[in-house]
Amino acid sequence: MSEFGEGSFVSEWERVKTNTRDMEKIWSTPRTFAGDVWFRFRKKPTALAGFLLVLFLLAFALLGPLFTPYSYSDQSLTLANIPPILSVTEASNGNYLYITPAMKVIQIGRDGKLLGQLRKIKDDDTLRRISFTLDDATVVYLDYTVKPAAMLDSNGMRSPADKQVWNTSFLLGTDQLGRDILTRLMYGMQISLLVAFVAATINMVIGILYGGIAGFLGGRTDAIMMRIVDIISTIPLTLYVILIKVTLDNGLFSIILALSSVYWVDMARVVRGQVLSLKQQEFVLASKSIGSSNRTIMLSHLIPNAMGPILVTVTMLIPSAIFVEAFMSFIGIGIAPPMASLGTMCNDAMEALRSNPYQLFLPALAICLIMFAFNFVGDGLRDALDPKLKK
Amino acid sequence: MTKYILKRLGMMLMTLFLIILLTFILMHSVPGGPFTRDKQVAPAVLAALEAKYNLNDPLPVQFFSYFSGLLRFDLGPSFKYTGKSVNDFIVNGFPFSGRLGLITLVFVLLTSIPMGIVASLKNGRWQDMLLMALATLGVTIPSFVIAAGLMYVFAFQLKWLPIFGVDDWKGYILPMVALGGYSISFLARLMRSSLLEVMGQDYIRTARAKGISEMRVITRHALRNAIIPVVTVLGPTVANLLTGSFVIEKIFAIPGMGSYFVNSVTQRDYTTIMGMTVFYAAFLITMVFIVDLFYVMIDPRIKYE
Repeated sequence: MSEFGEGSFVSEWERVKTNTRDMEKIWSTPRTFAGDVWFRFRKKPTALAGFLLVLFLLAFALLGPLFTPYSYSDQSLTLANIPPILSVTEASNGNYLYITPAMKVIQIGRDGKLLGQLRKIKDDDTLRRISFTLDDATVVYLDYTVKPAAMLDSNGMRSPADKQVWNTSFLLGTDQLGRDILTRLMYGMQISLLVAFVAATINMVIGILYGGIAGFLGGRTDAIMMRIVDIISTIPLTLYVILIKVTLDNGLFSIILALSSVYWVDMARVVRGQVLSLKQQEFVLASKSIGSSNRTIMLSHLIPNAMGPILVTVTMLIPSAIFVEAFMSFIGIGIAPPMASLGTMCNDAMEALRSNPYQLFLPALAICLIMFAFNFVGDGLRDALDPKLKK
Repeated sequence: MTKYILKRLGMMLMTLFLIILLTFILMHSVPGGPFTRDKQVAPAVLAALEAKYNLNDPLPVQFFSYFSGLLRFDLGPSFKYTGKSVNDFIVNGFPFSGRLGLITLVFVLLTSIPMGIVASLKNGRWQDMLLMALATLGVTIPSFVIAAGLMYVFAFQLKWLPIFGVDDWKGYILPMVALGGYSISFLARLMRSSLLEVMGQDYIRTARAKGISEMRVITRHALRNAIIPVVTVLGPTVANLLTGSFVIEKIFAIPGMGSYFVNSVTQRDYTTIMGMTVFYAAFLITMVFIVDLFYVMIDPRIKYE
């Protein structure tokens, strides 16, 4: 107490000049609602990872085809079922030889480029070996007395398949018709994403209109409209997507139509709930009192305010649309060949799972990545839009 | 209670009627379907169809005769297989599908609920992280991918389990895991969040304050309330298992209803598609109804207006 005499404060501290203008000034930069949501969204690592993954997948699907030399329908049956990583035997000319599951021999350059099939000379049943010519000069043999079959050089000496080469002609291998899997993945993802986005948008529009009208009008109209929604939601939707798909042809359009005719129910419920609570609020009354039409109140006051939950529902709708599309393609009522979605690619590869597992696991991985990405984004959005979690 | 049941029953029958009507209309609008006259069908099938559906009658009359057939559990003849009726497919397939569905349901409940409980009691610890990471995988990976992966690892590579068929109990293991994967993950997540919420309630603190052991607090006080959300989604879960089995039965070559249904879809066997859809829908609606009744009974807080 004695060290700081009362007088010392007066001398060390100085009165600040008051400025009435500064008192009202907001010093921190104001953040918009969207900015606020983005701020909370990117705090969550899974959400940000999901968002980046979505961007990456979109780039892969849309820009990828520009960089690939193949089209989704280019087939070369001689180069069918070639995996991305090849176990090869070194040949006398310095190149590598790869034995396909169908007992063909393919010559592969040192850089991993496929140079084509060796010409077959003779299949000797008694010795159980097939002879081929290499560069029309030397003869090599394929010995199928052992399993897996092995190459013999021109002197009949066994040369082991001890080298692993990355297939640089087809980075992710080829399918059962010799089409490049990487290219087909790009186009397949395009189709899966297109179906999902269009179906989600249509569902959103129908759901907003239906739920909005039901919630806004209320009363008996609402009761009847929601009873219809209740009935629709007790019907197993997958069955109806299948049924609608069966009545239409095998095109892209019919998948979208089938998906968008049944999945709007959740959206309608969400929008109705939002509109019911929003329409009681003062700003709606204010708008009514200045003579706004119902249409204006609905479109420029109610729906924009309900956008948060709507957005979350849409992001969750996208993975389920992709899932149902893949499901339908997988049971064989998907898009017509030669186009393929990821689900059709899985379905085509299922028969040869044992010998060519990569043909199934690559598109399956792509489906999983899409599902992960959108689920994470949806989860993140839901948390970011929830004012209760605001810190 | 009786009034509630009657009301729900009325709703259920109305829904069922609408489903039948909708299915009938959809199948009649198929170009080249069984109900158009300009097509090439085996004469025997045509005769059966003619006899069954009275194709010359006006549509409402045809619908009425189809509907009265349904009331007698007669789902009509197959459009593709001469001499087979949709009832045959269901009678042949139902035992396999029913067994698989029931085993899977039990498996789902026995794994997901303990998973959710452990995750919520170890909230934030490594057990929780691990279980929830697994659950996230389970809800994002489609069942056919899980099925193919399991088949490749356990049947092709390790050779522990049969590739397909259900000749003995081993054949059911892979289909069960693949079919239940989504539901296990979904229910485990639900159970976890529900138990977390309940554990934060005042009455749990009261129970603890009375000196009851933690074990008893969880089993007698917390779980009873926490399990209710899980029971509410049992209806949709059953629906999920049933429609999910289309793919699983196809992959593992189980001769169940799902296989017949998928087969009829790819073969465009329209009358079978129609019959099977009606059967599936009726079955599902009944299951959801039963689950709902059960749910109303176990939760005393719910008032059945």
